[in-house]
Amino acid sequence: MNIQISDSWLREFLETKATPSQIAEYLSLCSQSVEKLIKDGEETVYDIEITTNRPDCLSVYGIARELSAILPRFEINARLKEIPVAKIPKVKSGFPLQVKISKTELCPRFTALVFDNVIIKPSPLSVRKRLENSGIRALNNVVDISNYLMLELGQPMHTFDYDKILKHKMFLRESKEGEEIITLDGQRRKLKEGIIVIEDGEGRIVDLCGIMGGKNSETDKNTKRVLLFVQTYNPMKIRKACQALGFRTEAASRFEKGLDPEGVIPAMERATLLFKEWCGGKVGNELTDIYPSPPKPKTVIVTKVKIDTIMGINIKLEDAKKFLDNLGFKTKIDAKTNSLTAEVPHWRNGDIEIPEDLIEEIARLYGYHNLPNTLPPISSLNYQKEATFEWEDKIKTALKYWGFTETVSYSMARKDLIHNPADHLKISNPLTEDLLYLRTSLIPSLLEVISKNPTEEGIKIFEMANAYLPRGKKELPLETMTLTLAVKGESKYLEVKGILDALLKELGITKFSIKPEKFPSLNYGAQIFIGETNIGIIGEVVSPELTRFGINQKVTVLDIQLNRLLSFATHAKGYIPLPKYPPIIEDLSFVFPPQTFIGPIIEEIKKINEIIKEVEFIDSYQNTRTFRITYQSQERNLTDSEIKSIRKKIIDFVSAKFRAQVKEAL
Amino acid sequence: MIKDQIRNLKNEAVGEILEAKSLQELEKIRVIFLGRSGKINALTKEIPKLPADERGGIGKLINETKKTIEEVLSQTQNKLTKTDRKTEWIDVTAPGIKPPEGHLHLITEAISEISSIFASLGFRRARYPEVEWDWYAFEGLNMAENHPARDEWETFFIDGLESDKYGKGILTPHTSSGQLREMEKYAPPIRMLNIAKCYRRESGMSHAPMFYQFEGLVVDKNINISHLKGTIDYFTKQYFGPDRKSRIRPFHFQFTEPSFEVDVTCLICGGKARLPNGKVCRTCKEGWMELGGSGMVHPNVLKNGGIDPEKYSGFAFGWGVERVLMMKYGINDIRLLFEGDLRFLKQF
Repeated sequence: MNIQISDSWLREFLETKATPSQIAEYLSLCSQSVEKLIKDGEETVYDIEITTNRPDCLSVYGIARELSAILPRFEINARLKEIPVAKIPKVKSGFPLQVKISKTELCPRFTALVFDNVIIKPSPLSVRKRLENSGIRALNNVVDISNYLMLELGQPMHTFDYDKILKHKMFLRESKEGEEIITLDGQRRKLKEGIIVIEDGEGRIVDLCGIMGGKNSETDKNTKRVLLFVQTYNPMKIRKACQALGFRTEAASRFEKGLDPEGVIPAMERATLLFKEWCGGKVGNELTDIYPSPPKPKTVIVTKVKIDTIMGINIKLEDAKKFLDNLGFKTKIDAKTNSLTAEVPHWRNGDIEIPEDLIEEIARLYGYHNLPNTLPPISSLNYQKEATFEWEDKIKTALKYWGFTETVSYSMARKDLIHNPADHLKISNPLTEDLLYLRTSLIPSLLEVISKNPTEEGIKIFEMANAYLPRGKKELPLETMTLTLAVKGESKYLEVKGILDALLKELGITKFSIKPEKFPSLNYGAQIFIGETNIGIIGEVVSPELTRFGINQKVTVLDIQLNRLLSFATHAKGYIPLPKYPPIIEDLSFVFPPQTFIGPIIEEIKKINEIIKEVEFIDSYQNTRTFRITYQSQERNLTDSEIKSIRKKIIDFVSAKFRAQVKEAL
Repeated sequence: MIKDQIRNLKNEAVGEILEAKSLQELEKIRVIFLGRSGKINALTKEIPKLPADERGGIGKLINETKKTIEEVLSQTQNKLTKTDRKTEWIDVTAPGIKPPEGHLHLITEAISEISSIFASLGFRRARYPEVEWDWYAFEGLNMAENHPARDEWETFFIDGLESDKYGKGILTPHTSSGQLREMEKYAPPIRMLNIAKCYRRESGMSHAPMFYQFEGLVVDKNINISHLKGTIDYFTKQYFGPDRKSRIRPFHFQFTEPSFEVDVTCLICGGKARLPNGKVCRTCKEGWMELGGSGMVHPNVLKNGGIDPEKYSGFAFGWGVERVLMMKYGINDIRLLFEGDLRFLKQF
C-alpha cells in the first residue's frame, strides 16, 4: 500500500537539514521505498510504498520516526519531535454515552469522546492542501480531522453526529446474516454474518466498524456535537468483512494489518487539540476507554553468532544495540551469552517476533549497501544434473535450424477450443472466458496461432509446454511436457515425418515404428511407437477442425509426449569399425498393390540378412517402388554368388509377404 | 607418306596446344585430336588399309604420337590451371542460398542464458508443478489462510480440486512454491534454479496472466546476506553487462526474513536518472530498475521443508523471466510474447 505525504508535514515531526532527495534515497535504502518525489510548488510530496508488515509506517509520524534513526547513519542529524496534543480534561456529568461490547476479541481497545459546540466549516487551507496531496478530498473541519490524523498518526478514526446516536447507546457486536446498512457513500450494503457493527439504542446499525460509517449517523452542516471514535479492531475480522463485502477503504486497509492499541490515546489527545483549534469544540464528556487486556511488552533475544552468521560480517554488539535503541527498542547486552535482549516498542509489536526480525533491523540500519558482495562457497553438491533440460534445449535448437519458429501460448484455453470440457481442469475464478480451461493438448493452440497469421505462407511452428491431465478431485493433475509441431500447406506429411526421423536420430533413437491408424481429427495419420511405448501421433488435420479455426489450407501436425520420448534418449553411440571391404550396391524395383505401406517393407528387408547394411527408398512411380540395397561385410569381399542368394531371398520374401512383383534386378 | 602425315599431325597438335590460352580452348583441341572422332582416331582407321608389314610400325608410331600429344596436353593443362585466373564470371554479391530459417522464442533464449549463468555457480535446474497445492504456494511459506500478504498474489483457483492435507488446488502464482518441493527432495547443501510458468489474475502492459519466473534457492551452513548480494551482482553483470550495478533494499515477504527488493541500474540512462539530453529518465526510478524480490529463507520455511534452521541458513530470489528480457530488449508490452504474432516472433 502506498501513502503520499508532504515534506512540510513530515518536518513538523522531524528536525533535520536533510533535503527531500536525501530523505527519499536514504529511506529507500534502509526502510520503506520512496517510489516518486512529486514537486508541487514549494511543497514536495513523497510517494512511499509501505510493506504489509509495517503498518506503523503508514503515517507521517511513523516515517519521521524511521528517519530519525536512519538519517544519522548517513551523517545527517535528525531529531523526532513531540506530537502536539491537548490533555483530555475530566468532565463530570457530561453528555451520556452507554457502550457495550459483545466480545472483547472484536475490539482490543475502544475509546470515544464527545465534543460540544462544534462549528462546522472548511479546514485551514494548508490542511486541505496536505489532504489533497495525500489523495484525500477535504470536506469540512470535522471529517478532515479524522482523515488528517489517520495520515498523520496512522490511526483511523470516525466522527458521528452525537445526536443521531439514538438513546446515546452503542452496542458493538457481530452482524447477523441479512442485516443492512447504508454507508456514508450512499450504498446500501447487505451484510453476511460476523462483520463488526455498532447498533444504537433503537437497534439501528450506525457503523460498519473499521470500514465505513453509517449514513444515518453522519455529521452534517447542522451538527453541534460530535462523537469521536478511536478504536483498534481484530484485523482478521476486518479483512474477512472486506472480502465478504467486496470493498475496502483506506481505514480498513490499515485496520486489517493490525494497529497498535497504545497509539489510540495519543491520537485522541491530538484530536482534542485539533477540535479545539479548528472547530472550537470543547470536550463534552468523560473519555470512554475500554481496554481490557493491554499487551505485555515483548522481548526477543538474539546472539552475536546469529547476527554475524546472517549478515556475513563481524558486528559489534554495541553498534547493534545503538541501531535498535534508535528505532525505539530497549536493549541490553548480555556479555556472558554474547547476546542482545531487546524489548520491542509497542508500535512494532505486530512484526517483531523472532531473532531474524531483530537481525533485519540491525542489518538495514548497518546498511545493506555496506555489506560486501561475496559468492557463496560450494561445500559439496550432492545431486546429478537433470538431462531433461539439455534434451529439451537440443530439440528446440534443432527445430530452429530446421526452419521452425517457436511459439508460447497461454496454458488456458477457451471452451470452444477444446473438445471435452469435462476432461479438463477448470479455473473457478477466471480472468476472462478466454482463459478458462487448462489445455490437455497443444494442437488447438498451434492452430490458433496459424489462424492469427493468415497472410504468412509456409508456416512451420512448434511449442513445447505442459499439458494438464486431471487425476481426480484430490490429486494434482499429471503435467506432461509435450512437443507439438504444425506445418501449414498441401501434402506436408513427409516433411513432418522427416523431422520426426531426424529428431529421433538426434536423440540417439534408431528403432521406432509408425503404425497407421484412423483418428477422428486426422485425415490420415499414425501412432509413433518406440518399442511398446506410444510416444505420439503424426498426421494431417481434418478440414472441419481447420474450418473451426478459419484456416483454409491443410495443416500437418506432430504431437509428442516428451517425457516418454526422452526416456529413450541417449548420448551413447556404438563404434563400428570402419569397413575394410567395399560394399556392393544395387537397386531393386517392385510393383506393389495400391496403398501398400512402405515403412514396414524397409524394416523387413533389413532383417533378412546381416550383410544388408542399408535399405533406401529411392524412387516411386505409380505402384512401382525402387529400393537401393547396400550389401557389405566386415570380414570379406562379397562374391557374386553370395549376393545372388540374398537377392533371391529378398525378392521371394517381398513378393510373398507384400504381394509384390519384382520388376528388374540390375 | 603416312609417316609424314603423322609427323605433321603431331607438330600441328603440339603447336596448337602450346598456343592455347585457356583450359576451355585446350579441351577443344583435345577433342579435335584425341576425341572419339578426332584426327588420331581417323588415322588409326587407315591402318587396316596399309600393307601388312607396315601396319605394326605405323601403329606404334601413331601410339607414340598420341602419347606425346597427351603429355604436352597434360603439361599445358597443369600450367594453365595454375596461371589461368578463370574467365568464368559469377556474381559474388548475389544473395546466398540460405539454410532454413527458424526462431526460438525470446523466453526460451532468456531461460537458456539465465540457466547457463547460474549453472556456472553450481545451481541445478529444476521444475515443479504449475498446478499446485495451497500449502506449497502459501501456507507452507508462512502465509496462513487470510493473511493480508496473500493479496500480493492474485491467485487462480482450480474448480473442485482440494486435498485434505495440502488445501486447495491453485495455479502457482510464483516459483517459490518450488522451495519446499526442493527441500523435500534434497538435503542441504541445496542450489536450485527453478524456472517455471506462474499464473496471476492480472493483465496489462507489464503483467500477463501467465509468465515465467526463475527462482534461486541456496541452503547450506553459514549462508548470509553477502552471499545473496554476490550472487545477484554476478547475475546482473553477466546478463545485463559488466557496467551494471545492483543493490538490495528492505522489503517484506512472509517467507524470507530479512527480505529485499533487488534493483539494477537503469539500462536506458545508465543509472544517472537523466538522459543525455538532460531530461528525466522515465524508464526507471531515480536511476534504478526493480528486478524482483529476494531474502534470507525464513526459519519457518526451513522447518516446513524438514531442515533445521539452527544448523542451516539460506537465501532465495524469484524474478520474472519476461521482466528481465523486457528490460534487456526494451519490449514494453509483455502480452506480445504470448500472442503468437509471427511477425513479432520472427524478429528474434
